[in-house]
Amino acid sequence: MKSKRRFLTVLVLLAVLAASVIMATAIGAVAIPPGVTLRVIAAQLTGFFDLEGIAANTVSIIWQLRLPRVLLGALVGAALALAGVSFQGLLRNPLADPFTIGVSSGAATGATLAIFLRQFFGLSFPQMVPLFAFAGAFVALFFVYNLAKIGGQVPVVTLLLAGVVVSSFLSAVISLLMVLAGENMQGIFFWLSGGLLLRSWPEIWFVLPYLAAGFLILISYARDLNVLLMGEEAAMSLGVNVEKTKKILLVTSSLVTAAAVSVSGMIGFVGLIIPHAVRIVSGPDHRILLPASALVGAAFLVWADVVARTALAPQEIPVGIITAFVGAPFFIYLLRKKKSEIRL
Amino acid sequence: MDLKIQDVTFAYGEHAVLRGTTFYVPQGSFLGIIGPNGGGKTTLLKLLSRLLLPQGGCILLGGQPLTAFDRKALARSMAVVAQDAAASYQFTVEDVVLMGRAPYLGRFQSETLADYEIVHHALAVTGCSHLRERLITELSGGERQRVMIARALAQQPKVLLLDEPTAHLDIGYQQEILDLLKHLCLSEGLTVVAVLHDLNLAAYYCQELVLVHKGRIHASGHPSRVLTPENLEEVYGIRVLVTPHPVFGTPQISLLPGSRRRQRKKAPPVHIIAGGGSGGELLRDLTEAGYTVTTGVLNVGDSDWEAARALAVPVVAEAPFSGISEERHREHLAMLEQAGAVVLAEIPLGHGNLLNIKAALAAAERGKPVFVLEERGEAERDFTGGEGARLLNAVKARGVVVKEKAGLYRALQEVLDNHFNHPVDEAGRREK
Repeated sequence: MKSKRRFLTVLVLLAVLAASVIMATAIGAVAIPPGVTLRVIAAQLTGFFDLEGIAANTVSIIWQLRLPRVLLGALVGAALALAGVSFQGLLRNPLADPFTIGVSSGAATGATLAIFLRQFFGLSFPQMVPLFAFAGAFVALFFVYNLAKIGGQVPVVTLLLAGVVVSSFLSAVISLLMVLAGENMQGIFFWLSGGLLLRSWPEIWFVLPYLAAGFLILISYARDLNVLLMGEEAAMSLGVNVEKTKKILLVTSSLVTAAAVSVSGMIGFVGLIIPHAVRIVSGPDHRILLPASALVGAAFLVWADVVARTALAPQEIPVGIITAFVGAPFFIYLLRKKKSEIRL
Repeated sequence: MDLKIQDVTFAYGEHAVLRGTTFYVPQGSFLGIIGPNGGGKTTLLKLLSRLLLPQGGCILLGGQPLTAFDRKALARSMAVVAQDAAASYQFTVEDVVLMGRAPYLGRFQSETLADYEIVHHALAVTGCSHLRERLITELSGGERQRVMIARALAQQPKVLLLDEPTAHLDIGYQQEILDLLKHLCLSEGLTVVAVLHDLNLAAYYCQELVLVHKGRIHASGHPSRVLTPENLEEVYGIRVLVTPHPVFGTPQISLLPGSRRRQRKKAPPVHIIAGGGSGGELLRDLTEAGYTVTTGVLNVGDSDWEAARALAVPVVAEAPFSGISEERHREHLAMLEQAGAVVLAEIPLGHGNLLNIKAALAAAERGKPVFVLEERGEAERDFTGGEGARLLNAVKARGVVVKEKAGLYRALQEVLDNHFNHPVDEAGRREK
């Protein structure tokens, strides 16, 4: 039956992701064979495998540098893709993505402000940039939501418009901060381009709770998202509390986006393209679309980050540039091959 | 479950749509909501389905206020089929109908075999089983409508609300869908409330009708009490004839030419000699075209006489089943004297109406333009042993034979409008 096929698909994609993580960890300036990588990871996780013959240096590279970065990439990729699916379904608009409704811009503004304050006022505390980004995302969502609210309801079109307006306002704020930062704008610029450089376990522990909660909530709303595609009135008569569902999905997707953006900066394209690419293959059913997009998004960002750190090594390219470089042609290829219009 | 609507009011902003609506829908009945566009039908249906909340009054479903249900519980009791079943998402038909089971499933539950059985039953009942694997986006309008009804049935509702379920469907699908609803209503006690546009379909299928006009219930009850010529004239501004269905006796509505003021042509009258149904269309068309029309001699009760009466056309009438008397013949000749043109319809010739042919001949002899309509050109329509045919040929010799109505109307226009209208117009212009 269909649920069995869904389960199998998820299983296969999970295997692909696991293989990607191990291979991505193996690749780098110091090449480490995948077998060794696997052994190190297994040993660190279970304590059963012995690490004889493996240099302490290698263990440290894998466990302290590469693996957390790869895992964080997977988490961020999954988060962005999942948020993209949710926004597209919720807003019934194929152009929606985590950036459309202003949440990302809010996060970017927060992060920019944090970098600015650190440089000019010496203000600094642990996880300052992620926390500011997080706060920025929710302030933006609060404004967008209340701007769009008409008599207790949030019409989809108004929400999109409010998002665009708030986004462009915040872009202006970011530009202003960059101008004020003058020569020191490199830090802000690099953050805005998105990247996973120097991210390690603390960032993972910081975002994991939000992402885990967000994943669970979004996946549990898969059927409601399907029913919502039939239109809001139809959804109501099929027993969905539309306004409440919209609010929950909006806040959850924003939470997931904010968490991802707060640790990785602005990584574009994943949230927009991965859901469409998956949908072309899987169809619009969110029960498969949500988990599949999360897994594909994760694997995609893992590989994009591999390219980002190896292509011009030792120079690091912001991963946002890679996602766009790789994502756009791949999507065009899918589009031409399928030769049908893109729809939700 | 029954539905009770008590003094419901609703306004979009300042614009009052419903002003105090009260009616009752018993369990297992098929109620039709009819009325002109913009009268509040769809709003009423949206209030019944709780897509909108009334500003005054209340709606009771099975004795409980609609607002007392939570959305899921309501969706288990009541299903809605919307007017425009636009589907732009590539779900399969089965997936769409499976959504009808959503109100029965918890957040972490997946569909069971029982759910699939219910879905397959709903597909079978609506004749959609063969569409199961097709994409909803690829279906025709009629198929999609049936799928939407299947989805509603998968909700296993007690009450089914439909907004113009047969709009955009051809007569075959209309009958199929309404037959289905009627069947569900009679065999399973489903309460059906449907907004319908087609009054004849509404009269044929519904046990109760509610006629909504300007936000109020203009009439309600059995179709024969609601669909009266008076009600329909008041609400739609149309003139109709209501006759019983020939087999079942439910009211049937036939349109009559509108009562709106027509531009009258400044032309002398057209006189039509007809009988036995040969002249009804002629009378209607020429009245519609703006001519002053007269007719005679017709027996009282003849269908052409009925037509003349319905159209308020002056008629010389003879008693039922009688031949034409000398007196009526003289009246007829006097009427013919006023006519600018005469049309002899394709009537059977019998001893009872020979005088009508003679009258036509007399008019032709006095120089009136006489048109003889011969659409069917039946060889044998003379039942007088030759006299009728001889007279008819004489009329034909002096008049013009036309083979179809469009040709007749063109010829009449030429004879009447050109020769009589233009001089008047020119005179009018000269006065200025």
